[in-house]
Amino acid sequence: MRRWWPAAVPYLTALAGVALMTAAIGLVRPWLDIPNLTVCYLLFVLWLGARWGWPPAVAAAVLAFGAYDWFFVQPYGTLYISAPRELLNLVVLLLAAVLGGRLVASLAAERAGAQASARESGVLNEVAVAALRDPEAAAALRLLCERAVATGGLAAISLVAFEGGEPQVVAGSALRAPELERARRSYESGEDSGASLHRGRLKVIRTFPAGSRVAALLVAGGVAVIEFRDQPLDPDTERLLAALLGLAGLLLDRRRSAREAERLRSLEASDRLKAAILSSISHELKSPLTSLRAGLTTLLMPEARLAPEQRELASGMDRQAERLDRLLGDLLTMSKLEAGLPIERSPQEFPEMVGAVLGALRPTLAGFQVEVRLAPDLPPVLAGELEVERVLTNLLENAAEWTQLGGGILIGASAAADMLTAWVENQGPPIPASELGEIFDKFFTHREGGSGLGLAICRRVIEAHGGEIRAENLERGPRFTFTLPLAPEQVAAR
Amino acid sequence: MSGRVLVVDDEPEIRRALRTGLGYHDFEVRAVATGEEGLAQVAAWRPDVVLLDLGLPGMDGFEVLGRMQERGRAAVIVVSVMPGERDKVRALDAGADDYLVKPFGMEELLARIRAVLRRQAAIVGGEPVIRAGGLELDLARRQVSVEGRPVSLSPTEYEVLRYLALHAGKPVTHTTLLRQVWGEYAVGDRYNTRYVVAQLRRKLGDDPSHPRYIVSEPGVGYRLEA
Repeated sequence: MRRWWPAAVPYLTALAGVALMTAAIGLVRPWLDIPNLTVCYLLFVLWLGARWGWPPAVAAAVLAFGAYDWFFVQPYGTLYISAPRELLNLVVLLLAAVLGGRLVASLAAERAGAQASARESGVLNEVAVAALRDPEAAAALRLLCERAVATGGLAAISLVAFEGGEPQVVAGSALRAPELERARRSYESGEDSGASLHRGRLKVIRTFPAGSRVAALLVAGGVAVIEFRDQPLDPDTERLLAALLGLAGLLLDRRRSAREAERLRSLEASDRLKAAILSSISHELKSPLTSLRAGLTTLLMPEARLAPEQRELASGMDRQAERLDRLLGDLLTMSKLEAGLPIERSPQEFPEMVGAVLGALRPTLAGFQVEVRLAPDLPPVLAGELEVERVLTNLLENAAEWTQLGGGILIGASAAADMLTAWVENQGPPIPASELGEIFDKFFTHREGGSGLGLAICRRVIEAHGGEIRAENLERGPRFTFTLPLAPEQVAAR
Repeated sequence: MSGRVLVVDDEPEIRRALRTGLGYHDFEVRAVATGEEGLAQVAAWRPDVVLLDLGLPGMDGFEVLGRMQERGRAAVIVVSVMPGERDKVRALDAGADDYLVKPFGMEELLARIRAVLRRQAAIVGGEPVIRAGGLELDLARRQVSVEGRPVSLSPTEYEVLRYLALHAGKPVTHTTLLRQVWGEYAVGDRYNTRYVVAQLRRKLGDDPSHPRYIVSEPGVGYRLEA
């Protein structure tokens, strides 16, 4: 009953209306002479057409014409049409029925269109407002999925983001492994499967195998996996879905950059924490060393009047305290390098760095023939000043350690292409061939009291600059060579 | 050479050692543990040199340095366990005269104290001609010569050299040099100073790998050898 009842209403109305009007006209006709009675029917047919479209209106027009002809046109009681005027009446009634129906159809279409775009902008606006509240847009993505399903066009939708290449459902319904795999394939190949989004249109590009109506669509920040319903999409819903999917892409993209920014912030925070811990350790260990060295060097002053053997004792202790300080310095430098704390690089004049290091190492190098052979007009290097000076210091201390007093130590540098090559030579014994590669490893040392960190620090620093360091044996003795990048032209030219 | 030295350090053993060691060299020494006491002593006792630890509990060394504006003639040598350039630069820019990294030996400390005292004496003298080794700078006539041979400098080069010479022996930071020579707007562009110093060295015949006059202070700036 329920199924046919609503469809029959317009026709029953047409029948009842025509019957009522005919009766009414029959009642008033004896007193009022209405010149063209069809006008009354005309109004009714127009109303029907506007209300329910042309089919019931046409039915009413035919009925009205029949009733009119039967009751009010001579000969009464027949459907005989005597004059062409009567036929015209029928044509006018039919035209009115069709026109009324068309009019209402176009009005209804316009109203439906307006409603659809109102719905569309309402939904998009709602999702966009939700997105503004939260940079990761989690709530907005969830809302978007709900609204997409609520359009009636989709059975399900899942938005998939990729972190480290792994698919992860961010919003919408959960996915099983094969669907996730399909999303990943789409993401990696950069191709849609099952449907495509193009110029604001959502197109099904493949007929689905039986039982599957799932498509994986590539959007800006990930993949949307959607499951269509049985029936085809109407154009309004399709447009709304296309807009929602476009918005989903933007939101996934935004989520990705928000997460990336968050990750960088936490890395920075952990860098700051590492730096703070290192500086606190450094403070705790260096304070007692300062007391030791200040006290011991005071005892070593002639005014302290220590006996010679006591002086020697104090002097030995001070040397050990100094050594402890150096070891601590090496350990802290190494920890900083290993913690990945960034090296602040700027254009540096290499000869100036050599000068500063030679100045600081004057006491250590006092007994050696130090020769400096730098190519003239070396361009500036792009380097961390303190870090590279540390490398030079370690290499020169190493050279002094292995060279006999009075022997020669040479520092040289030249530039080619975009790198500066520098070397430190000493006249010590050759390095065994098997150890040439190992000497830059951490804790590798043959020196008594050496930390095994000096050359390891050199390698870390140079590699952090994008350079290389190596050791080789020349005839006179070992040579350590390292490279550093030159500062870019536009900076150097100023 | 003698004078009054105020030690501000929270470590009692360091205070004791410095009192004894500096006392051997005829310095009058007072040692206090906090920044507040240090400031009070600077005002009341008028030391020639203040040895200021940066890592004080409570009011830290930088704050003490900031409040010491009206310290009169006292030179400040900042002492810290931090070998980083940032602290050095910050302390020097805040008005410190020199910087010493802990731990240090007494000989090194004495050398620094003597150097700042010498510099103080020179500033009080107010000589119109500054000499550093073979380098001579006639401030009144804006003339520079190396071992009697006149050197022609551009105005910028002269200004850099003049500022370094007026503070001979003291490390001058890149920032200070930029501000003094180029003005506020140039602050931050370190390469300017490097470029001008490279030109200066060339004209003065100073080898950057064996500097006689302008010495580079790693990570900090430059110092004219006194």
